[in-house]
Amino acid sequence: MFLDPESKLYKQLTPVFFLLPAIAIYMVFAIYPTISVIEYSFTDWNGISPERNYIGLANYERLFSDRIFWEAFRNTFVWSGVIIVINVGIGLVLAAMLARVWRARLIIQTAIVLPVVISPMAVATIWRWMYQPTGVVNQVLEAIGLGGFATPWLGSPDVVLYALAFAHSWSTIGLSVIIFLAGLQAVDEDLYEAARVDGANALQSFRFVTLPALRPVTAVVFILTLTQSFKVFDIVWATTQGGPIRFSEILSTYMYKRGALENEYGYGAAIGVSLLVIVSLATLIYMQIQNREER
Amino acid sequence: MVARYALIFVLGIIAILMVSPLILTVFTSLKPTTELVNPAWYPPLDVTIDHYIRVWTEGGFNRYFFNTLLISIVDAAVMIVIASMAAYALVFLKFRGKIWIQILFLIGLMIPVTAIILPLYSIIRSIGLVNTHLGVILADLALAVSVFVFMFTSYFVGIPKALHEAARIDGATEFQIYRRVVMPIAVPAVVTTALLEFLWSWNDLLLRLLLLPRDEMRTLSVGLLNFQGTMTRDVTGLSAGTIIMAVPVVVLFLFFQRHFVRGMTQGAVK
Repeated sequence: MFLDPESKLYKQLTPVFFLLPAIAIYMVFAIYPTISVIEYSFTDWNGISPERNYIGLANYERLFSDRIFWEAFRNTFVWSGVIIVINVGIGLVLAAMLARVWRARLIIQTAIVLPVVISPMAVATIWRWMYQPTGVVNQVLEAIGLGGFATPWLGSPDVVLYALAFAHSWSTIGLSVIIFLAGLQAVDEDLYEAARVDGANALQSFRFVTLPALRPVTAVVFILTLTQSFKVFDIVWATTQGGPIRFSEILSTYMYKRGALENEYGYGAAIGVSLLVIVSLATLIYMQIQNREER
Repeated sequence: MVARYALIFVLGIIAILMVSPLILTVFTSLKPTTELVNPAWYPPLDVTIDHYIRVWTEGGFNRYFFNTLLISIVDAAVMIVIASMAAYALVFLKFRGKIWIQILFLIGLMIPVTAIILPLYSIIRSIGLVNTHLGVILADLALAVSVFVFMFTSYFVGIPKALHEAARIDGATEFQIYRRVVMPIAVPAVVTTALLEFLWSWNDLLLRLLLLPRDEMRTLSVGLLNFQGTMTRDVTGLSAGTIIMAVPVVVLFLFFQRHFVRGMTQGAVK
């Protein structure tokens, strides 16, 4: 600050002064670990010992023949698939319904978006309790005469993944709804008017006006939901830890078990890299679509 | 008209279903243990706050609460400063290699925390910051800074360049322009950043699980996880703990809903 503001050095140092705090923290705690995870994935490091050998692609070869990895991989896709169906499908319908309502809209929208701000850890606690064999979900099923469907939701191999995906969707669908709502506001009102004049009913105008107009927004929500659901760790870890056995094991929980709990750091890093590649690619596609939209 | 009322009715039911898990948790947290035999949707007949007191004092949630609050507030405050300064340089200053800095920040939008958690832990351990709040704060800032740099950048781009030029001609330094001219205009971006970073910080589990193993340092997320592991059958205590964790962000959300909605759509990639 004691330099002459017109000097060359001052002009060169000013951007450094503004950028340095962000860049320094970002390089050390985000970029460096990203490079490290790739590097570690080529080693047999156990996370503690000073000894660390480069073993080439051995961890990746092991991934390919690791049955549990593929189970986790498959589960992650099923998990994402369920969440996409709910958040994109039902999210779109909810937004379209909300857009047609004026009175009470804010209250209803608040109720739908509210769970988005609840911590995944709290979401896990709530749903773990509701899914208990004697929990709320089964109590309700009994009360409305559907007791035959009652099941220990988180203890049963066939439903645990779907039950958790549903809980996750409960806490994230609000985000899809508000993105869809923003998209709906941009749809030309005249199109609905024209459809009405042509004698279209509500369902037809949804099918022939809303859906085509929302195609780009739908793509955005789709990719967004995909990347978000691939990154999930908290809710699965805090409910089943991937169990029973491995029926709800997803990539993040498997990586955590191998890398952090079983000291197979190098191998865990290889799982992390596979997650990194999938999420980065999906995010790149997301940003591409967004960019095209803004132009 | 009938169709419209039917629509409101259906949406009303959906709205009730959406909040019911939270309402039922509140009910349970306020019930004396003897009322737990009733179905979960029975409101508490004899309201008690004993479970809250028990969890708050014996359960350690008072400590967890203030640890979480401290980390979240520092996160939000520092984030506003570093992200807005970086964005200021990217928008208002001329320097070589700007495009590379932008690409560098863009990469940050694509890195999932989950994937890099293992080396991130190693780095923080090697500089001795495990079991310190500083370690968690630095990691939080690094992992979210990209989102907010772009949020401020898109806000700053809308500020007329002439304003910046005029202040320069008046002899103001860049920092003075940043501080006195640009930031006062950018209040909406500041509010969004503060709310969103506070929320993310408040809610995170994974980083805190690895970085804060000591009980005195724990946050609500780790405290709740631990409580759930050791007190599995303490339904009322768990409900009270959940509500303690949820109330601050729910209140913030209800007050600043518009800002949250805008921020969450802009910062959605994280």
